[in-house]
This record gives sequence, C-alpha cells and structure tokens, in this order.
Amino acid sequence: MTPVEIELRDLASHLDVPPTPPLVGAVRGRLARRRRRRRVLAVGMAACVVMLAVALAVPVSRASLLRFFHVRGATVTFVDRLPPLTPRLPLGEPIAPDEASFRLLLPSGRRPTGVYAGDGGYWLRYPGLLLFEFRSDIGYPILKKAALGTDVEHVEVRGEPGIWIGSRHAVFLPGGPPRAAGHVLIWQRGSLTLRLEAAVGRERALAIARGVR
Amino acid sequence: MQSPAEETLVERARRGDAAAFEELVLAYQTIAFRVAFVIAGDAADAEEAAQDAFVKAYRALGRFRTGEPFRPWLLTIVANEARNRRRARGRRLALVLRVAPEPGAAGEDPETAALAAERRERLLGALEELREDDRDVLACRYFLDLSEEETAATLGIARGTVKSRTHRALARLQEELR
Repeated sequence: MTPVEIELRDLASHLDVPPTPPLVGAVRGRLARRRRRRRVLAVGMAACVVMLAVALAVPVSRASLLRFFHVRGATVTFVDRLPPLTPRLPLGEPIAPDEASFRLLLPSGRRPTGVYAGDGGYWLRYPGLLLFEFRSDIGYPILKKAALGTDVEHVEVRGEPGIWIGSRHAVFLPGGPPRAAGHVLIWQRGSLTLRLEAAVGRERALAIARGVR
Repeated sequence: MQSPAEETLVERARRGDAAAFEELVLAYQTIAFRVAFVIAGDAADAEEAAQDAFVKAYRALGRFRTGEPFRPWLLTIVANEARNRRRARGRRLALVLRVAPEPGAAGEDPETAALAAERRERLLGALEELREDDRDVLACRYFLDLSEEETAATLGIARGTVKSRTHRALARLQEELR
C-alpha cells in the first residue's frame, strides 16, 4: 500500500458520515403499500377489461374507441413512427370549376388558380393554400397517420365537427401511397368533407374554413 | 459466490417471503446507505436512494441470477439511484464530506494531532479537485472498502477501468500533496 493509500484509509475513519437510518421499516411499509396498490390495480384492470369487452361488442362504440380522431370521411390514427413518405404527387386532372360533380365551396367565394379532379374528390389550388373537397357521404375515407405526440385536436367549424393537425403527418388518400402533409384542418360541411392545407396556425385555418362558401 | 444462508434468503424473498427480504435489508442497509451517501452527497437523498434501491431490488429479484453474490448486484442498484439524485441536484461530493471533529486524543501530542488534521484537510481538498469518476472510484475503494470487483459492479464500469482510474487518481493526489 502506498503512502497516499494509507492516508486515504486514515481519512476514511475521520469522515463525518451520518449514521445509517433504519431502512427495514420504511422498505416494509413501501412494499406493503405496493402490494395493496397492485391488488387495487388488478381489480381495476379486471373491471376495465370487462368494460372494454362490453364496449367493443357494440360496433359503433368499437369504432369510436379504436379511432382516436374521426370526422365523417377522415380518421386520424396514431403510430409510433411515420411510414416512408413520398413527395406530393400531381393533384389530378385539371378541370374547370363547373365540371365538378357537385358545387365546389370556395374560401371567401374566391376563385382558385386551378381545380383538379383526383383522389376521389377535387383539389382547389390557391397561392399558399390547398383545399380538397369530396362527398364523404358516399366517398372513400381519408386515413391519416400521425406520430405519437403530434398536435391533433377536435375543433368545430360553423357547428360541424373537424380535426386540426398542427404538425407533419402522413396522409393516405384512396389508392395512393402515403404522402407527407403539414398543418391540416379537416371538417364536415353538409354532405362534404373539406381538407385545408396551408402553412398557417390553427386560428387562421379556422377563420379560412369558416369563410368557405 | 453467494453464501448458502444468503442464497436461501434470496430464494425465499423471490417467492414473495417478505420476512426473508427484510433480513436482507437488515444485513445490507449500512453499506447501501454509505454507498448512496458517498455518491449522492446528502444524507436525506442517500436514505431515499437506499430505500428506492431496496424496493427496486425486490421487484427485480426475478432477474437476479441464483448463485451470484447479492451484495454487488444490490449496490449497482443503490449507486444508480444515488447517481440519479446527484445528477438531478448537480451536487458535488465536496459539499458534504466533512472531517469529523477530532476528539481530544489521549496521549497524542497536540502539535502532531494538529498537523495530522491539517494533512487530512489537504487530502480532502485534493480529493475535491479530482474528476467525479475518479473520486467515486477512490471513495468506493478506500472509504467504503469495496473490492475492485464490487467497485466495478457498483459504478457500472469494467474492472480494468477501476484499476486505471484508481492509478490515475492516486498519482494525482500524490502530486497535489507533495
């Protein structure tokens, strides 16, 4: 042993280490509380399983439990990780607005710079804004996947339900590969469901949506 | 190697025998608290860390390999808990380790006693200047009297790292005390 090691050993005997508190009682108490909690949890879990089983037996209830955010024609589910996303594809075939099979709704009544038929609905292009409209009472639904933790919330647009997605997510349009999407507001309007995509915040998106006519 | 008595206690505790686990807590509470104190640097945190470690150890008994020594396995959990508290508080060992007041050592020349006390103060000061990793290794080896193997398990490092850190830290101390 070197002189420094001898000095360290000597120092150890002169250190002011507090006396050991009695741990047995405290540990016993905590383990007993834990056992009680586990019993309560087990009973609670069993009750939850029963309630879930009952809820899942009802088709409508099942849909609402398994789909976290839903409006007619669009569902947002949560995933751990987004799938590989393709860049935006061509919007579809350019058409004149009056060629659409239903009357297109326009933000503040403004005419779009382009209208395209595709993805089971119509794309309306505006500078910095993209609107998609489709007959959700008869059309195919849009499926959106958002990574866990994504800002998603239920909103209302003129009394009808909608969903606001405040960050990047994946959108699955009928028959197409998943695409990347940013800030999106989806809402119902009568027999239609509209989807607005623009680099704006929630309040601005809601204001635009309320002005669609 | 685990002693047969300890192996029996661990086995009983694993099967849910609370009294057997309490015997293990009683046997190891002092070393657990001291390890936690040296690492966390605070008595209240050390008590909490040791308690949490025993509770976690009880929950993890199913993963404990029969026949392995229980003490290093337990101290690894204790050290982890204590390190988490030290990180959370940003506390340094230096703030809490104090030289105990020297009792009037009978028969000791007051001048020699004063010199020895001063020397200890210098050593403690030099320890405070060491890297945290090196200080932990020295504390385990010389203050807690843990073996190299136990120090390695407690600090979650290889035995070779214990050797190299000990060597580096002792050389540094020697230099400081020259």
